[in-house]
Parts: sequence; structure tokens; C-alpha cells
Amino acid sequence: MRISTSAIHASAVALLNDRLAELVKTQNQLSTGKRILTPADDPTAAVQALELDRALHESKQYERNSNAATTRLSFEEQALADATSLLDRIRVLTIQANSGAMDDTARNSIATEIRTRLGELVDIANRRDANGEYLFAGYATLTQPFSVSGTSVTYAGDQGVRMLQTSETQTVADGHPGSYVFMDIPQGNGSFYTAASNTNTGTGVIDTGTVLNGTWVADNYTIQFTSPTTYDILDGTNTVISSGTYSGTSETITFNGVQVNFTGKPATGDTFTVSPSGSEDIFTTISNLLTTLARPDNSEAQSALFATEIGATLSQLDRALEHLSSVRSEVGGRLSVLESAAEARADRELDMQTTLSGLRDLDFAEAISRLNVQLTGLQAAQQSYAQITQLSLFNYLR
Amino acid sequence: MSNFLSTGISGLLAFQRAIDTISHNIANVGTEGYSRQRTEFMTRTPNPYANGMVGNGVDVSTIRRVYDDLIASQVRASSSTFSSMDTFAAYMERLNNLFADTDTGLTTTLQKFVNAMQDVANSPSSIPARQVLLSEARGLAERLRSYDAQLASYDRQIESQLESEAREISTLADGIAQLNVQISASYAVYQQPPNDLLDQRDRLIDELSTHIDVSTVPQSDGTVNVFIGTGQSLVVGGKASDMVTLTDPYDAGRHRMGLKLEGGNAADITSSLTGGSLGGALEFRDQVLDPARNALGRISVALQSVVNEQHAAGIDLNGLPGGAFFDVGEVEVLNHASNTGNATFEVTRTDTGAITESDYYLEKTATGWSLRRDSDNAMVPLSGTGTAADPLTADGLSIVVSNTANTGDRFLIRPTRAAANGFEVMISDPAKIAAAAPIRTGAASTNTGTGTISPGKVVQADHPQLRSDVTIEFIDANTYSINGSGAYPYTSGEPIVYNGWQVEISGAPAAGDTFTVSDNTGGAGDNRNALALVQSLSSKVLDNGTASINDTTTRLVGNIGVTTRQIQASRDAQEVIRQESVDARNAVSGVNLDEEAANLLRFQQAYQAAAQLINVANSLFDSLLAATSRR
Repeated sequence: MRISTSAIHASAVALLNDRLAELVKTQNQLSTGKRILTPADDPTAAVQALELDRALHESKQYERNSNAATTRLSFEEQALADATSLLDRIRVLTIQANSGAMDDTARNSIATEIRTRLGELVDIANRRDANGEYLFAGYATLTQPFSVSGTSVTYAGDQGVRMLQTSETQTVADGHPGSYVFMDIPQGNGSFYTAASNTNTGTGVIDTGTVLNGTWVADNYTIQFTSPTTYDILDGTNTVISSGTYSGTSETITFNGVQVNFTGKPATGDTFTVSPSGSEDIFTTISNLLTTLARPDNSEAQSALFATEIGATLSQLDRALEHLSSVRSEVGGRLSVLESAAEARADRELDMQTTLSGLRDLDFAEAISRLNVQLTGLQAAQQSYAQITQLSLFNYLR
Repeated sequence: MSNFLSTGISGLLAFQRAIDTISHNIANVGTEGYSRQRTEFMTRTPNPYANGMVGNGVDVSTIRRVYDDLIASQVRASSSTFSSMDTFAAYMERLNNLFADTDTGLTTTLQKFVNAMQDVANSPSSIPARQVLLSEARGLAERLRSYDAQLASYDRQIESQLESEAREISTLADGIAQLNVQISASYAVYQQPPNDLLDQRDRLIDELSTHIDVSTVPQSDGTVNVFIGTGQSLVVGGKASDMVTLTDPYDAGRHRMGLKLEGGNAADITSSLTGGSLGGALEFRDQVLDPARNALGRISVALQSVVNEQHAAGIDLNGLPGGAFFDVGEVEVLNHASNTGNATFEVTRTDTGAITESDYYLEKTATGWSLRRDSDNAMVPLSGTGTAADPLTADGLSIVVSNTANTGDRFLIRPTRAAANGFEVMISDPAKIAAAAPIRTGAASTNTGTGTISPGKVVQADHPQLRSDVTIEFIDANTYSINGSGAYPYTSGEPIVYNGWQVEISGAPAAGDTFTVSDNTGGAGDNRNALALVQSLSSKVLDNGTASINDTTTRLVGNIGVTTRQIQASRDAQEVIRQESVDARNAVSGVNLDEEAANLLRFQQAYQAAAQLINVANSLFDSLLAATSRR
């Protein structure tokens, strides 16, 4: 084949250019540390890398969300702990007040302390988090949820629960509404609650009762003493559903799944009620206690009413403490869910980072050896070009 | 004796011509398109003698150009294809680089927007978090607009390239026509090939082939006719047609290519043009640039519709329903220049899932309207009549026609082309981000059953009674009334839909238990709508519910990567093919200096030998004179 002189030069220059272009690309890869410089270098890997990059950003956001949830739940946990110790103190004071050796002055001082504690409890319920949002207001986080008017405390928040997204599939509530924490505490034993009429003249005391074998038939029952030793049980429509006799000192009465214990000596016409549990808020329980403490205790009948009411209050305080502790364990559960989710997330992130690095990052050992080969190639091409172009027959024509 | 003197002289003259030609070759070793020339010798007619024919010396029959027509046309075909691919690849590489940066890419910007939305969900009442969301939203809008602006600038570059291509092709055609005239004149006068003119003409045709695919037909008078496209004549003999740019009948900002015969009108030949840098630019515009802009526009449309729809279902910090969050460019409708009617259109996007990345051609027929999708050239069935009450609908578009169109009137509809350019954030007050849901639910504290109510969600944001207070009261354990009326059977967990919202009550409610759905007043800490916005952004809203916005974005980047890689590979392969044909031509026509040196020596020696003949003749003559002279 004939080779024209200009073709020798042209093809040599073109080859040198190609070598140089390869070299520059390798150099670019080395200086950026990336294997894929543009999507065209490896479209499949580039698209995968885009998706992984996005997923990593998303994962970082879930971490932020989890941190936000953790912070708020920790605030709530602290508030609940404070409320619990406060209620514990009130419970101790209530038991003190119930001991027979109390005179009015002593009760008054107890009542004074309990009144202070009630104020503290309202303060706890109105606590805010680091962003200034009320912890126990539901969605209305900028509205003060609890306010005192007279002896009652009203709730201005709502029942909303804010969920935060902590992974693609998991959402975690970052708190509880105040209505749930402080307001909706089941009355009595959770199925029904008992009360003595404050017009009773006898000394009969009713306890909070228990549900027999889960057969509680919900209705408003009245236990009416027709004589100190006989009683009728009336249902919501004032129909007598059963009657019984009372021993005069203590008796366990059972009907429609209700089991209540009577002690003391009821008088004729005394009534006691057994009603389905609704809910009662902690503040009402405490202000009821204050009302009870303010009641005169000058007769046996008054003592009996006092005992029934204090009993109901103690039981209600126990319900409240139980409720707070169940809320606290829910919070604890959420915190541990967040923690284990964080570990899973860290593992997944590491996994994604590794994959991403494999897709996009440069294998330096390979790249450097490639660079050396290309450098040698380019040098060889340059040298051979320089030598070949020196050849010419005209050199020998003298 | 005079015979061999003249024979010697004929040799001298012939070798002089040969050395002339060699020096011409050497002088043109660097001339582009030069074909080496050869001196062709021919013996003169011998003198007849009784004892035989005595040779009479040599004549130069012609100076021949070493040239192969077949190889030359291979070079043109391959360089036309190469140049088309090279132009395509050059644009493609720029597009590829544009979408290469992952740190500022669309996927990342979109994710940043979603993350900022999550931060708002973390603390919905925080103005700084809302402020960040707004600036991320503006960043996203800016990103979309700047991508679109980049693509639009490629479009303008292609438009100006089309103009310069037209000028260059016309200039080259003129040059070829002029050379045709000179060449045919030269043949007529000298009966010999005008080698250097032929080289010049071939070079012009070579250059023409890098702009556009050409075919040539040589004529008997030495001229060459040049055709482009599907046989449109660019040069016939000494006459050249003019390549011109025409205004696109739909879009005055766009060019089409026309061919104008002398004194005639320009005919639109755009669709038949292939190859060369012109073909490559047209192909890039039609197959990559326009679809990419449409794809970007469709992403913008999806973002706008998804975010706005969900945003409207929430309420902001002031308790007002969420307003429009994003704005997006309108559907473009372009009239054909030859339309005779005065119809105008109101085209709206009604179904994001059905919107495609294609453009559409709408034509008034004798019986109604016909719609053709550009991407696959398929006729799309239209429903409706085109009135405001009964609009024409197809592929997620609703078309309302005003005024009248005449049969044959044509319109170009671009559903998404201008969308990205008009993409803007409509909210500037952070308090106006609707992170909260408009309703909240609650259970009465006096409830004795175990029923619970879900937080509820909005199913019809524009229901007039959406935010009215509603009480659901249980008449007994299995029946409930709404606002005191009706008796609906209760099933735990079944959705209850009313006033545009939906809630679920589950568990065992007791008779007399009440649940309320009310206006979410003061719900500054509610993040339900923000979470719903996050959710909606990852939902599959495009391609009839099969692709999310993110899927579409990665697909766009992936497609650009794949196309770039393919065209680069094809271009590199084509470059080898072109190089091979150029090498083949060089092997035939190129000057090799060593060869010329050898030939130079050969003819130098032959010239010296012929000169020696003169010397011999001279001495013979001298001896004859000496023999016959008187002393």
C-alpha cells in the first residue's frame, strides 16, 4: 500500500491526540476521585448513583426527624416524671388526711399544700419544648392548653397527635395531647365508679369495687337502704332489680358484674351510686379532694362520707398515677423504637455509601497503573513519530 | 542524423515535463485535496523504412490526475455521516455535562425541597423552618428554569447554526457551479483535463459533504451535478440553487430549510435533509432537545399539580386554606401561518397522569377535529365537541375552541414546552405555607366505650362545609347519627365520609358516645398536611400512575447519558470508517515524497541521457563536417 507523506503526519497527529485525550480523562478521574464524570461515562451506574444519593439525603432527613422526635419525647418524659412525683406527694398527703388523728387545722395545712401542688401541676401541664411549643396542647401548640378558673381547670388544646416520619415506612408520634395525659383518666376502677350521697345520715362507706369476671352490665345503679339492714338495687330506670340484707357491719354486695364492699352502719334512706366510668381529669380529682378536705367532719355520717370520698380520691389518684406511668412507658417505647431505627438507619446508610462508592468512586490503584500505561504509550508514540518523520529519501540526495 | 537529434530533443522535452510534474507534486505535498499527477508518455509514430520501422522518440500524451471516483464518493458518504454524528455528539456532550453535576442536579434539589418540607413537619409553627422551605422551593424553581434556559440557548444556537449552514452550502454550491463552467470551457478548448480545477471542485464537494449528504452525477462535458436530500438538485452544470432558511409556519422563532431555484420560490425540504453538520443539528433538535425540554416541562407540571393540590387541602398559620404554591407555564397553542379561520384555544391540563412529553398537531376536518401525537405519529381519539361545556379531551388535555376554524386549519399544541420556564413559587409569606390539616377530630371525655377516632383526612378540599363542626353520636353500639340525624350502621374501622373529609372510628363505642370533627382552629403545631405533601411528592403521579416525579427525573438524566454514550460510540466508529476511506484515497492520490524523489532521480538520469544524445549528435555532426571539409 502506498502511504502518502501527508497521511503519515495526519494519522500520527490524530493518534497522539487520542492518546492525550485518554490521558486527560484519567487525570480528571484521578483529580476528582470519581470514576463517573458525566452520566454518559456509565449511564446505568450514574442513574443508580443518583437514586442512592437521593436516598442518602432522605436518610439524613429521617435522622433529623428522629432527633426532633427524640427531643420532644424527652421533654415530655421529664414533664411526666415531674407530674408523677407531684401526684405521689399528693397521694401521701391524702393518706395523711385520712388518718383519724387529724384536726381541722392539720387538714387545712394539708389542703394548703395540695392547693400549691395543684398550681404546680398546671404549670407542668403547660410546659413548652425548646421551640416554645406547648408540649400538651395537641395541634394547638401555640395556645396555652390549661387554664385555671375558680376551682376548675379547662383544656383549650385539642386531641391532635403530631406524627413525624422517621423512615420511609415508619412514623412516630412526638408527644401526647394534654387531653389524653391529664384529662381522660378513667373514673373509678375503669368500668364503674362508686359514690355516696352527701345527704346520707348513716356511717356506711362504699369502696371502689371490682368487676366480677368481666360481666359488668353498664348502667346507672343506685343502692338504696330501705332499712339499716335491707337494701334495694335500682337500675337506671329506677326499677328494683334485686334486694338483699345487710349484716350491719360489713357486707360484699354483688350484682350485674359489680362487686362492692360495704362497711359501717348505713341509715334508712341512704343511697350509694354505681355508675359507668367516664373519665375524670387529674385537676378535678384534686379539686374534689380539696372540697372533701374542706367538708366539716363533726358527725359519724360526715366521717363516713369523708371516708367514701377519700377512698374514691385515692383510687382516682392511683388511676392517674397508673395512667401517667403507662403514658411514660409509651414514651419510653417510642424512644427505644427511635433508637433501634437509628441503628438500622446507620447500617443502611453505610450500605448505601459502600454501594455508591463502588458505583461512582475511582479505583485509584487501577487508575494510576492505567495512567502509567497511557503515559508510556504517549511517549512511545511521540518518539516513534519524531524518528519516522526524519526519514526521507531527499536526505540522501546530495 | 537529424532524426535522432529530434528523438533526443523529444526525450529532453518529455523528461522536462515529467520533472515539471514532479516538482508540481512536491510543491503541493501540503495542499488539501491535491491529487498527485503523472506524466503519461507515448511513442511517436515511427518512420517507415524498407528495413523496418525506426522509432521517432517520445511525446507526452497527457498529465494524468491519479484519482478514483469510487473512493472519493466513499470519502464523502463517510465524512457526511461522521460530521452529522460529530455535531450531534458535540451538542449531546454539552447537554450531558449540564446534567452531570449531582450536587446541583434536579434530583438533589428536589430532595432538598422534600427535606425542608420534613423540617416544617418537625416544627410546623417555626417560621425559620418555613422560611427555609420557601428558599428551597425557590431553589428548585430556579433550577428548573435555568435548565430550561440552557436548553433554550442550545435551541437558539441551533437556529443560528442553521442560518450559517444555509449560507455556507449556498457559497459552496456557487463555487462548484463556477468551477463547472471553467472546467467545461477548458475541456472544450484544450481537450485535456484541467487537473487542478478538478481537484478544486472535488475539494468543494468534499467540504459540502461535511455540511449535508450529497450525491454527484458526472456529465459528459466534464461538469458534475450535485444533489442533496432525496434528490433535490443543488448544482446543475453552471447553475446553483440557493439554500435558505424559512420561517417555521407554526413558530416564527424557528427555522426550516428551503431550496430556492434561480428565480423560483423556496421549497421546504427540511424533512428530507440528512447527514452532515446540518443534518446532525436538525436531528439533535428534533430527537433530543425538544423532547428534553418537554420532559423538563412535564416534571414542572407534575410538581405544580401535585404540590398545589395537596397544599390546597391544608390550612396555613392564619387558618386560611393553602393557596397556589407553584405556578407553571401555560400550554402553548400555535397557529399555522396558512390558516384562514380565526379560532383561538383555551387548552388546560386536566390530568397530570395522562400528560405526555409529546407535542400535538390539531387539524380541523370537514367533520370535526383530528389530533395527531408527534412522538409516535399516532392519531389520538378526541372526545367532546370543543365547547366550554363539552371540551375536546385527549391525553390529559382539555381544549376549548372559540371563534371559528376552517377546514384544513392546523394548530400545534405544546402541552409542556413552556412549563419549566414559567415555574415559580407563588408564596412569599412563610406563614402562608399550609402545613396543617383543616379539620381535627376528638372523642368526648364522657365517652364510656372504647371507640377511637382517626385524625381524619381531606378528600374534597373545596367542600363548602369542610370545616363545619360535625358530631357523630352513637345511638347504640352498632348505629350512629351524624349531627343528630340519620342512623348509620357502624363497622369498626370503616371510613366515614362527610362534608369532604374522611375519618375512621374503631373499637367498641357505647351508646351515647360522641365524636367530633371540627375546624382546626389554632392548630399551629399540626403537620399533617406537610407530611401529606412529602408523601404526595413521592407518589406515582405520572404516566398513568406508574412513575413518580423522581423516577421521571432520573429517567431524563439516564436517557441523556445513554444517548450521549451511544452517539459517542457511533461517532468513534464512524471516525474509523471515515479515516479508512480517507487513507484509501490518500493511498491512491496522495503525494509520497520518497516516491517523488525516486522519480526525480529517474527522470534526471533520463534527461541526462537524452542530453547525451544531443552531444553525440553534435560530435557526429562535427566528424561529418570534418570529413567533408576542405583543408
